[in-house]
Amino acid sequence: MRTSLHEIKVIEQHLLQREPPEEALIFEARMLLDAELKEKVKWQNKTYALVQSYGRKQLKAEIDAVHQQLFTTTKHRSFRQKMLSLFTK
Amino acid sequence: MMTQKYLEQAGKARETFFLRLYQKAFPITAKYISQRGGTFDEAKDIFQDALVLYYEKVLTEKDAHIQNEQIYILGIAKHLWLKKCRSKPQTTELDHPAAEAVAVEEDEAPAAHKLLQFLATAGEKCMEMLRAFYYDKLPLSEIAQNFGYSGIRSATVQKYKCIEKVRDTVKEKSLSYEDFLA
Repeated sequence: MRTSLHEIKVIEQHLLQREPPEEALIFEARMLLDAELKEKVKWQNKTYALVQSYGRKQLKAEIDAVHQQLFTTTKHRSFRQKMLSLFTK
Repeated sequence: MMTQKYLEQAGKARETFFLRLYQKAFPITAKYISQRGGTFDEAKDIFQDALVLYYEKVLTEKDAHIQNEQIYILGIAKHLWLKKCRSKPQTTELDHPAAEAVAVEEDEAPAAHKLLQFLATAGEKCMEMLRAFYYDKLPLSEIAQNFGYSGIRSATVQKYKCIEKVRDTVKEKSLSYEDFLA
């Protein structure tokens, strides 16, 4: 694996807290001394947050497709009627 | 081609999973919310958020022994409903175990939204792969197979390449989408 990818792996282990505590300390120290590394960590952290948002967004779309299926197809008509009747007052 | 087929299979499995949960747990959730004066659309939104949280819970705690999934989902939905009712007038967050997991409907900064859209189109394959690994938590062997890599090793390398690619895009784009910096 090339050096930059190895670095990504090390940053990941730090961000996801998968490294032994003593290595975490060393990493923290390195960040204090190396502004460029600190910067990379910051952007990589945002990357995981974005992947999380992306995952949720895609998942919600999938769940909504299931909803559409249940509430529009004739196959599920009785389920739909039962559910809608809960809200008619 | 292969990739597409496998992704469809993974998607199909989730569809079956959610279809089952919907039929099992939506009735009690809808009943709960209708009895408290909620609308159908509110029940739908709350229930869907509860499913997202349930999915994440099942994935992150593989050894979580959930005895009764419909009661469990109803529990999450109740919590979301109470939170919604409480949040109308401003109040503080209750110290509930599920509270930290609740921000499904978090307001995304416009820049983050733009960035996501950009990544979803410009780097779809990477985003799908990263999603499969970090969000859906599929094992690397399965990811290798789904995305057409020869094995775990090459899938791992590709995963880091994708992180690098997305990270560089995030950095570059953030300079133009300033509010994402905050």
